[in-house]
Amino acid sequence: MVLTSSARDYVNRMLQDISGMKVLILDSQTVSIVSVVYSQSELLQKEVFLVELVDSITKSKELMSHLKAVYFLRPTTENIQHLRRQLAAPRFGEYHLFFSNILKDTQIHILADSDEHEAVQQVQEFYADFVAVDPYHFTLHIPSSYIYMLPAVVDPSTLQRFCDRVVDGVAAVFLALKRRPVIRYQRTSDIAKRIAHETNKLMYQEESGLFDFRRTEVSPLLLVLDRRDDPVTPLLNQWTYQAMVHELIGIQDNKVDLKSIDKFSKDQEEVVLSSEQDSFFKANMYENFGDIGMNIKRLVDEFQQVSKSNQNIQTIEDMAKFVDNYPEYRKMHGNVSKHVTLVTEMSKIVQQRKLMTVSQTEQELACNGGQGAAFEAVTNLLNDDSISDVDRLRLVMLYALRYEKDSPVQLMQLFNKLASRSAKYKSGLVQFLLKQAGVDKRTGDLFGNRDLMNIARNMARGLKGVENVYTQHQPLLFQTMESIVKGRLRDVDYPFVGNHFQQGRPQEVIIFIVGGTTYEESRCVALQNASNPGIRFILGGSSVLNSKRFIRDLEEAQRVARSNTSIV
Amino acid sequence: MATRNRTLLFRKHRDALKSVRAPSSSSLPSTSSAGGMLALLEAIKKTLKWWVVHCSCECSKDLNLVTVGLPPAWVDVSEEISANVQRARTKMVELAKAHAKALMPSFGDGKEEQRAIESLTYEITDLIKRSEKRLQRLSAGGPSEDSNVRKNVQRSLATDLQNLSVELRKKQSTYLKRLRQQKEGPDGVDLEINMNGSKSTYEDDDLDNMIFNEHQMAKLKKTEAFTVEREKEIQQVVESVNELAQIMKDLSVLVIDQGTIVDRIDYNIQNVATTVEDGLKQLQKAERNQKKGGMVMCATVLLIMCLVMLVLLILKEIIL
Repeated sequence: MVLTSSARDYVNRMLQDISGMKVLILDSQTVSIVSVVYSQSELLQKEVFLVELVDSITKSKELMSHLKAVYFLRPTTENIQHLRRQLAAPRFGEYHLFFSNILKDTQIHILADSDEHEAVQQVQEFYADFVAVDPYHFTLHIPSSYIYMLPAVVDPSTLQRFCDRVVDGVAAVFLALKRRPVIRYQRTSDIAKRIAHETNKLMYQEESGLFDFRRTEVSPLLLVLDRRDDPVTPLLNQWTYQAMVHELIGIQDNKVDLKSIDKFSKDQEEVVLSSEQDSFFKANMYENFGDIGMNIKRLVDEFQQVSKSNQNIQTIEDMAKFVDNYPEYRKMHGNVSKHVTLVTEMSKIVQQRKLMTVSQTEQELACNGGQGAAFEAVTNLLNDDSISDVDRLRLVMLYALRYEKDSPVQLMQLFNKLASRSAKYKSGLVQFLLKQAGVDKRTGDLFGNRDLMNIARNMARGLKGVENVYTQHQPLLFQTMESIVKGRLRDVDYPFVGNHFQQGRPQEVIIFIVGGTTYEESRCVALQNASNPGIRFILGGSSVLNSKRFIRDLEEAQRVARSNTSIV
Repeated sequence: MATRNRTLLFRKHRDALKSVRAPSSSSLPSTSSAGGMLALLEAIKKTLKWWVVHCSCECSKDLNLVTVGLPPAWVDVSEEISANVQRARTKMVELAKAHAKALMPSFGDGKEEQRAIESLTYEITDLIKRSEKRLQRLSAGGPSEDSNVRKNVQRSLATDLQNLSVELRKKQSTYLKRLRQQKEGPDGVDLEINMNGSKSTYEDDDLDNMIFNEHQMAKLKKTEAFTVEREKEIQQVVESVNELAQIMKDLSVLVIDQGTIVDRIDYNIQNVATTVEDGLKQLQKAERNQKKGGMVMCATVLLIMCLVMLVLLILKEIIL
């Protein structure tokens, strides 16, 4: 409940002290931040009768001085410019300004200068600068996050903006939790090192007064990782509910847009999948596809029973009871049809793309299996015409990541076959991936074949057999979390920033993955938190990835790298 | 949860800047002519700005010149409805007390309590019905920001009213149930005695028969009166239940279902944007239609005819 409740508390505090009818003005980023934790009906209860975007509100000229304006914006230069224009010609009775991060002095000067009518009543910093999609998972929705894959010389200003946004977001999380952490980062990643150092500078030097909280016995830990250390997890197909919906259809801010899939009735075009508001989803979001099917069938049976009893209305008492229960009945109906629609659509997609066979090979590539068998399986699937292009690309990428050094000839064969079959994917994407995230670039032991302990563990797992072939993959994050719990995170691989040091095990850990997180990893974190209450993990990333987005990031980075000739 | 208040710093800057701006207008005569001209221009600019701000609002609201700065008329309607909701709530508390009192065993007939309950229930239902009718008046046409505010106010008041009516009906149904349980108690006993009475008529003498028959008749009459009265009460409660059911049906269209897509802030913002855009498109289409419209055609035709006639007149003058 940690992240969602912090964000909700911030919004509550913004609205509670201001009486009367209010209008809430947000920008395109804070809309996501507020929408995932606060609903429209709750806003209405707090007497907020209008919600607007800051750029669209400048167009209208209606005077509404009976409303009090509550602005919740990110402190960017565009927002300050919008505010300047609006303060020069105020439309509302009072102005209360809340910013989601630290304001610079110059920005306060500019605002004070433009407030000639003295309409501004308060200016506060409320540090809700992250989108809390799940209780232990946040994201920053950074649009062109592919920039982290490229060296700094390519586009220094965009990279600086990216780093600034990440540092702001991470700092906001710690301010919301009122903690100042010890910072560690992944050694092999320049971007992780840069972000770790900049966060350190912000927290310990520039704004050390703001971050000077009550010291706990053991400081919390901030671990900055790079997505390229585990490129396998975003490429795999998923079989647990939340991850699967994101992989096959796409979840944005806990909303699923079904318009692109098929024609639906108006109220089923877009649905909400939030663990806070939907108890069925909360119970089933980490279950695998087979179990979900059974649970949904049970839900539908329950619902049918209820609706049958509703149809059996004979006396006036029954009628009264029906009208009494009607709101709940309607809610249940909506919920059931939402889940049934989602599962039906996903089944259709699984059928169409033959994902059962593809995923089996993917899991074999990711977890175990010999090289020869893997090569044969991948070649067979490449020859199969009914497999889509993106699935073929994923298979070759996974094979390349696993058996990069094992047999170059066969790897070349696969590349050629892929290039001949899929005209859509420009040649060299797999090679680009290898250059970014190949064996030499990775720190963690992704496939469990580096040190003896991991090899032994893998063999034991292979002998024991797995419960479910489709969900046998554990993301690298799982091993990292285990090492942190045991206090055995290697200093060589994950050094401390500056002169930070930590003795013993931390009780709160925030892991930030530059480049994006996946729902499989957030599931891992949630299960870890549930089974091990002594230490609390929170996961965050610059965006939430699925295989489409990760491949798109790779393509964008490759395009920019090619067009920039200063790259060797 | 950390926050930081920057209002003091902001106010300090604002006051400092105000004092920087103010002296420029007051130091009019003491400076040189150029400086004086500059200060004069500043003063003129400021008054113009003030006029522009106030004039623009007056031009846009051409009907409400007086109500600039005051809330619009529909706010009074919404305030009235929320006052009604408050009053209905206090009456509900009174009604709960009256229900409890009526259910307590008493020696009297209980008619006053029944009447009190009836009147309270009627008042509350009346308040809810009236508020519902006024609520319909709150909605407005046209895609403006004001209409969105009105729609949202309507929604929140609809939720309040629906909660009130649900509560009222729950209270009524529990009261009815308890009432029935109570009334059946004494009736059951009476019926038993009647049964025994009817059995014994066959065994006893005729004299005893007559006496028992009289008793029996009296008891029958009493039970009849009870049943009639109970039926009346039940009928009334059922009527009010039906009325409220109707209101609930109307209101449930306005109320947002929690947890659905309609309850999301970003969905509502997108919709607002699209409706405003649609409105703009409609206006543009209307403008185009008007331009193409018959009036303009007629006017141009008439103008051309006038010119033609003028030319003919001139020609006539020249020729003749």
